[in-house]
Amino acid sequence: MKHILIIDDSPTIRISVEHALKSLGHAMVCAENGRDALGKIDALIAQGHDIALCVLDVNMPEMDGISFLKEFRSRDKFTPVLILTTESEDDKIKEGRSHGASGWIIKPFKPDELLSVAKRFLK
Amino acid sequence: MIKKTDSQFNKPLYILYPGEFYATKEDCVISTVLGSCMAVCLFDVAKRIGGMGIFIVPGTIGTSGIISDAIASKGIGDIELLLGEIVKIGGDRRYLKAKIFGAGYPADSSSQMEQVMNSNIKFIYEYFTLENMTVERSDLGGEFRRRLYFFPWTGKVYRNILQNNEESSEFIKLEQEYIDSEFRQKEKFGRVILFD
Ligand SMILES: [Mg+2]
Repeated sequence: MKHILIIDDSPTIRISVEHALKSLGHAMVCAENGRDALGKIDALIAQGHDIALCVLDVNMPEMDGISFLKEFRSRDKFTPVLILTTESEDDKIKEGRSHGASGWIIKPFKPDELLSVAKRFLK
Repeated sequence: MIKKTDSQFNKPLYILYPGEFYATKEDCVISTVLGSCMAVCLFDVAKRIGGMGIFIVPGTIGTSGIISDAIASKGIGDIELLLGEIVKIGGDRRYLKAKIFGAGYPADSSSQMEQVMNSNIKFIYEYFTLENMTVERSDLGGEFRRRLYFFPWTGKVYRNILQNNEESSEFIKLEQEYIDSEFRQKEKFGRVILFD
C-alpha cells in the first residue's frame, strides 16, 4: 500500500496535514523529525509498503528537514517531497530545490491548496 | 525589537513589539507591553534556551476547533515562527515549557474585542493541549494591560499590571496598528512554490 509520510515536530501541524490530506484515501504515517522518519521508512519498506509522498518540515530537532532530504534522496530519487515550513528566505528555498525537493509551501498553509498540490504530485 | 544594555537587571534587555518574536541562548531579559496581544514565553531551563513571541489570532475561531480553521492557522503559524527559531539554536519542543500572557481587553478597546479575546484564550489552551506542552503559568484576559519581563535562562516572568497608559503610549499605538493589519489580512496564507 502507498503511504504518505508527514514529518514535522509539531503535533498540531501533523494533525492539520493529516486532516487536509485524508480525502486522498492513502494511509498516513507521522514522524517527529528526520531521524524518526528514516526509521519509519525502513519499517514501511520492510513490510512491503511504498512511500507515495513526503510532507516535510524544515526546523526540527535531531535531524532537520534539509538533512533528511539529502539522506532520503541518496536512497530514493523520485518520490515527491513537499517542504512545509515557516522558512521563506530565497536561499533556503534554493537549498531545498538543489537537494531535490518537489515544492515549497510556506506556513500557514491553506488545506485545499496543500491537497491540490499533493494530488498533482501523486499522479 | 530594540536592545538596551543599561537595564536595571544588569543583563541586556530586549524590547519586543507586537508581531515580533525572539529566541536566544543569552542570559538576558525580554520585555514587552501587552494589551490585546498574547505573549508566549517558551523555555528550557536545562539547556538555558528561551524565546518570546507576540501575536494575535485575528478573529473568532469556529466551534470545530483549531485544526483546519483558517483564522487559527495564522496563530499556529505565528507560534511556529518562534519555535523554528528555538529549534535552530538547539531547542526541542518536547522539553520546552510555556508561560502565556495577555489577551486583555482594556476599557478603551472596541466592544467586539472581548469576544475575540475569549477566542484567543480558547485557541492558546487548545494549541498547547495538542502540542502536549506544559503551561506553567497563564495570565490571560482582564480589562488591563500588562508589562512583562521574561528571563529565558530560568523561565521566570515578572508581570506588572499597568494602571497608567501614558508610559506605554508607544506600545498602544503600535499594537493597534499591528492588530488592524492582522485583521485586514486574516486569511492570508503562505506562498506555494512548485519546482518542476
Ligand atoms: Mg518545525
